[in-house]
Amino acid sequence: MKHWIRLNLIALSRTLGAMARAPLTSLLNLLVIGIAAAFPLGFYLLIASAQSVTAHLPVEPQLSVYLRTSVGTPEVEALKQKLKADPRLLNSRFVSKEEALKQMQAGLGGTDLLAGLTDNPLPDAFVLTARTDVPAEQLEALKSELSTQSAVEQVQLDSAWAHRLQQLIAAGIALLQVVVVLLAVALVLITGNAIRLQIVIRRDEIEVAKLIGATDAFIRRPFVYFAALQGILGGLLACGIVAGARSWLNPSVLALAQSYGQPFSLARPDWLLAAITLAVTTVLCLVGALIAVSRHLRQFR
Amino acid sequence: MIQFQQVTKRYPGGFDAIKQLSFEIQDGELVFLAGHSGAGKSTLLKLIAGIERPTAGSVLVNNQNLARMRRASLPYVRRHIGLIFQDHKILFDRSVYDNVRLPLDIIGFGHQEGHRRVLAALDKVGLSGKDKLNPVSLSGGEQQRLCIARAVVHRPSILLADEPTANLDRDYAQDILQLFKSFHQVGVTLVISAHDENLMADYGRRILRLKHGQFTA
Repeated sequence: MKHWIRLNLIALSRTLGAMARAPLTSLLNLLVIGIAAAFPLGFYLLIASAQSVTAHLPVEPQLSVYLRTSVGTPEVEALKQKLKADPRLLNSRFVSKEEALKQMQAGLGGTDLLAGLTDNPLPDAFVLTARTDVPAEQLEALKSELSTQSAVEQVQLDSAWAHRLQQLIAAGIALLQVVVVLLAVALVLITGNAIRLQIVIRRDEIEVAKLIGATDAFIRRPFVYFAALQGILGGLLACGIVAGARSWLNPSVLALAQSYGQPFSLARPDWLLAAITLAVTTVLCLVGALIAVSRHLRQFR
Repeated sequence: MIQFQQVTKRYPGGFDAIKQLSFEIQDGELVFLAGHSGAGKSTLLKLIAGIERPTAGSVLVNNQNLARMRRASLPYVRRHIGLIFQDHKILFDRSVYDNVRLPLDIIGFGHQEGHRRVLAALDKVGLSGKDKLNPVSLSGGEQQRLCIARAVVHRPSILLADEPTANLDRDYAQDILQLFKSFHQVGVTLVISAHDENLMADYGRRILRLKHGQFTA
């Protein structure tokens, strides 16, 4: 056990020595790993932020159906029955033009809207809430179906934008998955290549060490340490890059969100996420190192 | 003990460097290996160290058959062997001290004990005080001594030297051979190859003469 610890300490000191001998190369390599890992991390936080916004929004799609002013009560009743029977709808609510005017007045405060008007200009309307599991195409179909009704003036799909945002997020998540996979592969290749270069640079040392009785584990150890260290530091750097970018971007995002009346703020990488990032970059770098080492050490006898 | 039984080494391409060679070297023996370059001296030493594997026959070192040994076990055999390479194989990216230290790091020696041994080995070959230098600043003969220090620092029971006197003038070569003799006196088995037989003759030891991969009388 003591012997094993000693061998590992020797490997660690050899690793640090190698890094110290080529500080610029080590630093550049770290930067590449850090930037590569910062992309998916930052992207993930962006999506997490957007998701927190849609969580506050009504997701049930709403339709407003405005009726022609010329429509009489029997036609309105017929339409009401028809809507009640529609399986796509959760509920429907009739808003008469008087009610609509009252609401509008309440929303505007003291001003008497009717003062300058001889007549109520607002139409009768239905506010429909569709079931959440109804796909967007069917909502569109419902919308055009209602538009063709003779009693109907106009149909508006109110919550379409919330729905669109959700779809955008879904697309973002899919894109994130692609980015994660691609950059994971890239990290493995980057580390693998860095290790391969080191093996080439240190091939004399490896050759001599093998000739005088070094085991494969002895040769492998410094490279594994190097990769692990690069993974940890690269992960830290990625967290730093993302945190820095967030504090740079957040004020303008806050201002933009406020102009839409939304309490939107970019999410901050928390400790758990930082730990996961570190773990993932370390594992990926280790995988890259082990592949490179096992591929290139076979040439030494 | 080193024992060769009907050993043949054929390199890719069909060249036989060693042909059906059988011999024994007893523990503590000092044996010279003579022959022109290309006679198979280096290959024979590489076979003893397990750097090359025989195409046929068996190579026994301390009663272990290297021909049938697993690759993973070879390093432990090599730790009983000190190698002095024809091309020195000194690492120029580190100090004289660190060059000699490498075999001890491989075995996993403690810091104190390792330090003591490195200094002792450097002292033995006459390089004390030069431990902090870069090997580039050493003369050819000194580099040869450094290579010897690295080969003996872990106190191997077998020492293999491939043309250790090749590029040295006669006096310096005599010094090196004296050094080998002192290892022989403490019980190390030595196999030394050289193409210059005049040097060996003075020692009155067994000489194995190789030609085209076979012994000549």
